Amino acid sequence: MIHLLEMPSLWQTIEQAMRLNPAIFAEIQKFQGGLGIALLIVTLAGLSEALGQSVILFINRLAPRRFMLALMITAASHVVGYLVWTVTVWLVGVYVFGQQVSIIAIACVVGLAYAPQTLAFFELTPFLGNPFSIILSLWSMVAIIMAVRVGLNLELWQAFLASALGWVLIQLWRRTIGRPIYGLGRWLRRRAAGVPFEHTLADLALLRRQPAWLKNLDAWRTRVRQRDLRKNIDNLLKREPPRA
Amino acid sequence: MLETLGDFIAYLSIIVIGLLVWAALSPFETLGWWAGWFGEKIYVDDLPSDGLVRAVRPGARSYILFLSGIGRVSGETFSRREQGFLQRLATALPDAVVIDDIFPYSVNNLALTGQPVFARFWRWALRAKIDGPTLAGYIINIRNIMQVLISADKRYGPIYNQAMAEVLLHGLLRYNYDINSNTPVFIIGYSGAGQMAVGAVTYLRELINAPIYVISLGGIFSSDPGLLAVDHLYHLYGTEDWPRQLGLIAPGRWSFFATSEWNRARRQGLITMVNVGPMRHTSAGGYLDIKTLLPNGLSCMDHTVGVMSDIVRKHVLATVANPAEAPAQPVTLPAPGNAGEKAGGLHWSTGDVAL
Repeated sequence: MIHLLEMPSLWQTIEQAMRLNPAIFAEIQKFQGGLGIALLIVTLAGLSEALGQSVILFINRLAPRRFMLALMITAASHVVGYLVWTVTVWLVGVYVFGQQVSIIAIACVVGLAYAPQTLAFFELTPFLGNPFSIILSLWSMVAIIMAVRVGLNLELWQAFLASALGWVLIQLWRRTIGRPIYGLGRWLRRRAAGVPFEHTLADLALLRRQPAWLKNLDAWRTRVRQRDLRKNIDNLLKREPPRA
Repeated sequence: MLETLGDFIAYLSIIVIGLLVWAALSPFETLGWWAGWFGEKIYVDDLPSDGLVRAVRPGARSYILFLSGIGRVSGETFSRREQGFLQRLATALPDAVVIDDIFPYSVNNLALTGQPVFARFWRWALRAKIDGPTLAGYIINIRNIMQVLISADKRYGPIYNQAMAEVLLHGLLRYNYDINSNTPVFIIGYSGAGQMAVGAVTYLRELINAPIYVISLGGIFSSDPGLLAVDHLYHLYGTEDWPRQLGLIAPGRWSFFATSEWNRARRQGLITMVNVGPMRHTSAGGYLDIKTLLPNGLSCMDHTVGVMSDIVRKHVLATVANPAEAPAQPVTLPAPGNAGEKAGGLHWSTGDVAL
């Protein structure tokens, strides 16, 4: 019970983590429900990021239901990415820097580092979204370095090195034993979408939408003329004086 | 006192956060349209012609599409100034078809007051705009500004501007435009609609055969690819108009980025800056004000109409003289003196105003 009382609320935790307050990174490892909060933040960040990057789903013209499903899968893939980060940071901490830390404690701090990403949804903002996404990725990078520093109890330069090493490990993992898992993720996404993901943002300038009325312009014209004719007849009938 | 200040800040932050969330959600309308969620229909407000504006004129030699500023909720204008301006323009150009029943802040010309869910809300906002409280009416402007930002965005722009091109083509066809003809099309983009006009040109170009000219009336636009697709852009500006400078938020409009569309278009001579004298953006002393007189004795509105009809007439003459290939040469306009000159000191000289 005491732990529950001492624990800051979810919003407070997110807020403090966004402010990159080292104290909250240290505290979350001690809380009983720390891992729960971390997982919640990661899920929220995953959903937010999935929404923020949903433009690609629209470009490929997904139906609304399929769109929701694809969003969920993207969010889930972010959670998988989080697990990979956690294991990597833990491995670097234990085997490179010789620290005695539990993987749960690392899971807590790394999860907290996802706090800035809960704002990823705002990348959708027209015109201002792109500069914001740059700020957000820098912010997240600083947060992860902070998480590594506090979680592994390192100096700043060591934390920087550990994060860089973690990044290299992840790249290696993606290209080797991680490949089947990423392949599975892509397959799932394709199945959920129901349409091939053939277009990216870069293709946008070349994509054209041909509405049916434009394709059959003559038929459209005839229809409009008939409608105008009907309207004129209606008007004429309305104007006709009532017979005594 | 502190409590009231705290409350005030709390309310203000709620409003700001609300606006930010709204802004982030705003592209869904455009994106959903592209994904086919809302169908392909283009809506039409059935507005009768007043005999001048929205009148099909047989043997028309030019088509003028008027895109209004961000205060609108539909294809119908409630502004007396705008109505007067359009009527004068249609009178000055008896062989032009003037079309204004276009709502340029919607992907399918659907009026805000005709939206399936929020129609009631927008009708309330419109009433507030006309009868007050004015502040509530500004919700319409904010919503439409977001659409301008969507059109200027590199991710959403290609989608929105295609939609806009379709809406414009639909408008032209409703008034018997022949897409295979060489009849020039002039798009007047007032204020925020400057972006909508410039954005749509890239795609309208592929749909019609004739030259397309954009007349920006104190237009606010980014460095859009449309600037290179247009046959010529006339940027009419008043020296007392500051909102038009908002376009400079877009880095591509700064001369520093020499390879931006704006700077390339300027180097290619596609843009003519036309100083129309000491006019403001809107209301009294604005481009469409009939009461304020300029030093040359004309009202602001009459001068604006005069400059615009000169542009249209000269291009039409050039097209008629040489129908095979429509020249994209900028026309020469009478220009008021230096931008800095105040009323009284203004002199009228004929000369090329290309800057």
